[in-house]
Amino acid sequence: MPQKSKTDKKPGVCIPWEEKRKEIPKISGDENLIRKIWQGNDALAYTYIWHCLLSF
Amino acid sequence: MAKDMEQLYAERLKRYVTAMRNEKPDMIPIRPFVAEFTAKYAGYTCQEVTEDYNNAFVAARKCAADFDWDAAVSNMVYVWTGLTQAIGLKYYGVPGIDVPPDTGFQYLEPPEEAAFMKPNEYDQLIEDPTGFLFNVWLPRVSTDVTEAGRPTSYRSNLSFLKGGMAMLNYFNAFGTQNELLRRESGTVSAISGILKAPFDILADKLRGYLGLIPDLFERPDKVLAACEALMPHLLHVALSGADPEKNVPIGFWMHRGCVPFISQKHFDTLYWPTLKPVIEEIWAHGHQVLFYAEGSWDAHLKSFAELPDASIVYHVDRGNILDVHKAIGHKFCISGGIPNYLLAAGTPDEVRDCCKKVIDTAAGDGGYIMDASAIIQNDAKTENIKAMTEFTREYGQY
Repeated sequence: MPQKSKTDKKPGVCIPWEEKRKEIPKISGDENLIRKIWQGNDALAYTYIWHCLLSF
Repeated sequence: MAKDMEQLYAERLKRYVTAMRNEKPDMIPIRPFVAEFTAKYAGYTCQEVTEDYNNAFVAARKCAADFDWDAAVSNMVYVWTGLTQAIGLKYYGVPGIDVPPDTGFQYLEPPEEAAFMKPNEYDQLIEDPTGFLFNVWLPRVSTDVTEAGRPTSYRSNLSFLKGGMAMLNYFNAFGTQNELLRRESGTVSAISGILKAPFDILADKLRGYLGLIPDLFERPDKVLAACEALMPHLLHVALSGADPEKNVPIGFWMHRGCVPFISQKHFDTLYWPTLKPVIEEIWAHGHQVLFYAEGSWDAHLKSFAELPDASIVYHVDRGNILDVHKAIGHKFCISGGIPNYLLAAGTPDEVRDCCKKVIDTAAGDGGYIMDASAIIQNDAKTENIKAMTEFTREYGQY
């Protein structure tokens, strides 16, 4: 079972957190919280495009 | 009353799940995949249930309340053309616009030279499937989305905003619909989640069937690599929509990956090796997959028999149900087998005779679910759907 394509974009991901994190110079608060919310919203975009392909 | 419905729901869920695990329930479960029939029965046109999903939900619940069915799909019409129009999708024939108001929606496949993915774009798809869909595929399938690298537009921006919010609304509405089905009629929502084979996705939405066939001969390695690149994504989508209780199966819609659409060799080397591991992984997560084998997949029963016992439910459309039962009935639950032409053009007596034959053939030891061969559209006669339901209840007791 291939785990992913040649890019580092895993299933469920459009823009990886690691890529977004590089755009933020410093986080003084809870980085995990920011990461979790980023990934949750990013997954919605993934859901959108893959359901356009599969369901509609 | 509410308690009675809850009890009825529990009985039906147990019956449905027991059969799907290829065991013997108290009676044969009835789970017809009724689509545009619900519109006809509830007094709507195809346009009214396709354009406004609330009408489709009402129609599905009315059928569930009036017929003694154990399970039904929350909205088997499924495609909400309000959503597809918000996105600007080109590949639908919309009732009331492209086809008459009382004709079901249609999928339109572009000619080979206008395929949504070009033959020289395999590497792009393989490299980054999600990026390819957003940047290349979506602008081609939408009238509104602007191609990557070109200036955006009002319509392009709105396509994402309206499409995203509409999709969220629609998907969220299924939770309420399933709850209403349970409370109002004690009906189980029959499936949860969606799967398609990598090969079928290439044929349906990317290269087109006519484009993919020459690719099988001219660039088979690229086709295989593209299928492999799609596999983890299709698995992810299937699991993300699966029933958390692990009762009802993931719906797997099988299109043009069988003989004679492709050769046995291409099935063996491309279709099956890029599907089987997905099914096995889904089963490893504890979910069954409903193989909705549209057309006839009898040439491939031996391959399907390689899957773990009870990992799938196999739905028979144009296949020979006796052959299916002999080949895989000892491993998997079977559903369907009542021809749609009979439900449309036959008499109730003919329907009852056919149901008896199918039950005698496939349901002796349990592991069978009553359903039509294919999705039931608005050509089916109400008296024939009643005959199928009532006969199965009378004759289908264990």
